[in-house]
Amino acid sequence: MKTLRSGIFLALMLALGLPAPAAARCVHDALDRKVCIADSVERVVSLSPGATELLFSAGAGEKLVAVSAWSDYPPEAGELPQVGNSNRLDLEAIVALEPDLVVAWVDGNSASQLAKIEALGIPVFWLKPRTFEHIASAVERLALLSGDETAGAGRAAAFLAGIAQLRERYQKAPPVRVFYQVWHEPLMTINDEELIGRAIRLCGGDNVFGHLPRLVPRISTEAVLEANPDAILSGGEDSDDRRWLDQWRRYPELTAVSRDNLYLIPPSLIQRPTLRMLEGSEQLCQTLERARARL
Amino acid sequence: MLGYSRPLAILVLISLLCMVLSISIGSAALSPGDTWAVLTGSGTSLQQTLILELRLPRTLSAFATGGLLAVAGALMQVLLRNPLADPYILGLSGGAAVGALLAMLAGVAGALVSGSAFAGAMLATLLVFGLAHGTGSWTPSRLLLTGVVVAAGWGAIITLILAMSPARQLPGMLYWLMGDLSHAGNPAPALVMLALVCALVFPLGRSLNVLARGPLQAAALGVSVRPLEWLIYVLASVLTAAAVSMAGSIGFVGLVVPHMLRLVLGNDQRLILPACALGGGSLLVLADSLARVVIAPEQLPVGVITALLGVPTFLYLLHRSR
Amino acid sequence: MPDLNTEQLIIDIPGRADSTALSLQVGAGETWGVLGPNGVGKTTLLHTLAGLRKPRKGRVKLGTAALASLGRRTIARRLGVVFQDQQDGFPATVLETALVGRHPWLSPWQMETAEDERLARQALETLGVDHLSGRLVNTLSGGERQRVAIATVLAQSPDTWLLDEPTNHLDLHHQVAVLQLLSEQARSGRSVFMCLHDLNLAARWCDHLLLLYPNGEACWGPTETMLIPSALERLYDQKLITVEADGAPVFVPVRG
Repeated sequence: MKTLRSGIFLALMLALGLPAPAAARCVHDALDRKVCIADSVERVVSLSPGATELLFSAGAGEKLVAVSAWSDYPPEAGELPQVGNSNRLDLEAIVALEPDLVVAWVDGNSASQLAKIEALGIPVFWLKPRTFEHIASAVERLALLSGDETAGAGRAAAFLAGIAQLRERYQKAPPVRVFYQVWHEPLMTINDEELIGRAIRLCGGDNVFGHLPRLVPRISTEAVLEANPDAILSGGEDSDDRRWLDQWRRYPELTAVSRDNLYLIPPSLIQRPTLRMLEGSEQLCQTLERARARL
Repeated sequence: MLGYSRPLAILVLISLLCMVLSISIGSAALSPGDTWAVLTGSGTSLQQTLILELRLPRTLSAFATGGLLAVAGALMQVLLRNPLADPYILGLSGGAAVGALLAMLAGVAGALVSGSAFAGAMLATLLVFGLAHGTGSWTPSRLLLTGVVVAAGWGAIITLILAMSPARQLPGMLYWLMGDLSHAGNPAPALVMLALVCALVFPLGRSLNVLARGPLQAAALGVSVRPLEWLIYVLASVLTAAAVSMAGSIGFVGLVVPHMLRLVLGNDQRLILPACALGGGSLLVLADSLARVVIAPEQLPVGVITALLGVPTFLYLLHRSR
Repeated sequence: MPDLNTEQLIIDIPGRADSTALSLQVGAGETWGVLGPNGVGKTTLLHTLAGLRKPRKGRVKLGTAALASLGRRTIARRLGVVFQDQQDGFPATVLETALVGRHPWLSPWQMETAEDERLARQALETLGVDHLSGRLVNTLSGGERQRVAIATVLAQSPDTWLLDEPTNHLDLHHQVAVLQLLSEQARSGRSVFMCLHDLNLAARWCDHLLLLYPNGEACWGPTETMLIPSALERLYDQKLITVEADGAPVFVPVRG
């Protein structure tokens, strides 16, 4: 009811050409739009698992009133009410929760659905994390909007410092040519722009498909055989599912196979653009270090 | 017989050319000399793997799938006496898709997905068979109507599964729905099936010609219409199920190849059906070669290419024929 | 021995009460005409005689064998049907269409022989459509298609012809030519059984008539015994004037 009234109020003001009331806090989101909060944020809805995790990192976990499906980290996120999966949201449920901030994710949520939410006067903060810096700055800004500003800034800084440390350590290491398998049917990988691709480079890896134009290209087995990577990494379907990796053993002429450089990377730490990527990157770097030793 | 051998010989030649092309190109650059070396038993082990383990089975799978779909489409068009019929018109691909997507959702891969798709396709066949047969007053138009409505039902279930699946699973599911040969298994059973069906339809061919003139006319000319219609239905369904479980629901081949060949070769099923096996196979081999190389090493779904190749060819033939 | 006969046959028209049971004996050399107003069941009767529909009661026999006990192929070798409408299905040429008439005579593995093609071409020639043999049937006029349909059955060369309105779409000359052809077939020992809507053509070319009345009654017999003006008027619910021409009665509808 409150939102409806404020929506009508907003529409009236717009119609009368009156200026909106001055906002207390404003930040720019990943789409470079100004997101302003009237006073303090108390009710936040997260529309992707990654956004949920970033909000917890920003110290706004307690203010979350609902999350999207598959929001399973940190564990307490799993106990929150859900408002649909990221590409099919229950708008009515979101509006009924009367949130004062909605956090959306460019790659997953529908812009038209979010436009409706905004039209009702609910501020929407868009995330589009493509680099480690984006992740850190998303945490900082979410903290500024809704959470514990200082704790958020501290975690972001620690994350960047950790990344810088890894970069420092592996910058000069001999490159390992890596194929990272995202999915098996169809066979998919990532390019250098993708966060996992960036983590591979951070660790002194050379992604054999890094140059491809799309973030998540679909490729052929033949292309992998021709590229002949030194190591094959895969998230697998579950954290202990080596089936995809074992399929490569059919091709003993691959260096990765002959050197036994087939590694399972737990997807939870690396496949979500969150602060846990630091931990994931550390594991990745150690894995590549092992691969390097076998070359 | 003489009138048949020339067009079929030309189609065999085209098929062979398409297969040679498909084996010679791919994201890895191999010279024709390398390809020849491998085929004659030498070449490096990488070259052998590329050609003998990746390209050859995939080419044969594409050929078998395309051939099965085109023959199934031609049979469905005769059965329903509807030129717009394709192998999927009675909801068979919907059943197969539900089977395959459920298998993917359950986290299995490879042969189990194919098996589940085959089971789904056969379930869809039996369902339509049973529903259309229910009251005993079976007609092609009743079969068509039942099939189209059941297909719509499958469509809804597919959308439901897609909506409820985790985002990670979606690309695999969408690629399956668009048709994709990258995980086709052993092509031998499908090739044998294709050869068998060509041998089987030859003696049936003249009866099919007569059936194409309508059931009354066919019965008056000595065709046992009902048994023949059921045979065609089951045959087309099994062929389609085999094709779909190998490569997902590749559209267009089953609809357009029979038409293209009819425009050129006339309407004798004894010629059209084997011609469909060869022509459909060639089209899919060609389309799959393109899907593999146009943005190599990235891959396109082959269904996109079949449509892009087929639409202009078909329109040209249609234009030329009048 | 009669070629086609029926025993207490009642055709099955859903929602219609039983009509008079028909016990017809269509013998070799006879030409039968079926007369009756629209919707009386002429086509249904023809389809029942061809074994394409089940009778409600009674049975149809071909020679001494019950039609229902014979396979379609056996029936097709002895009995040919010209339907009122030809379905197009998929386009076929005129020659291909006529060749289809040879279907019952060929085994599944057999291709059409030169002899089959000769018979088909001859049939087309007889019907005067041989010059169209390369054309697609769906590009022909209604009358040309009707003649191709008759040529197909001629190529089939059955002992018994069943025809549903064979003069449909034909101009006067071709009507006469087709009926002349059917008379020749009858003279050579075959039997012809056809539905006709033209009373005078029936009177002139048929030696037997079957009259089907809207109320389900039927009567049949040699033509001369059936051409009773009052009976024909009742048949069509139409006043008729009878005149004599060329030594035979001609029936003309009364105006207004």
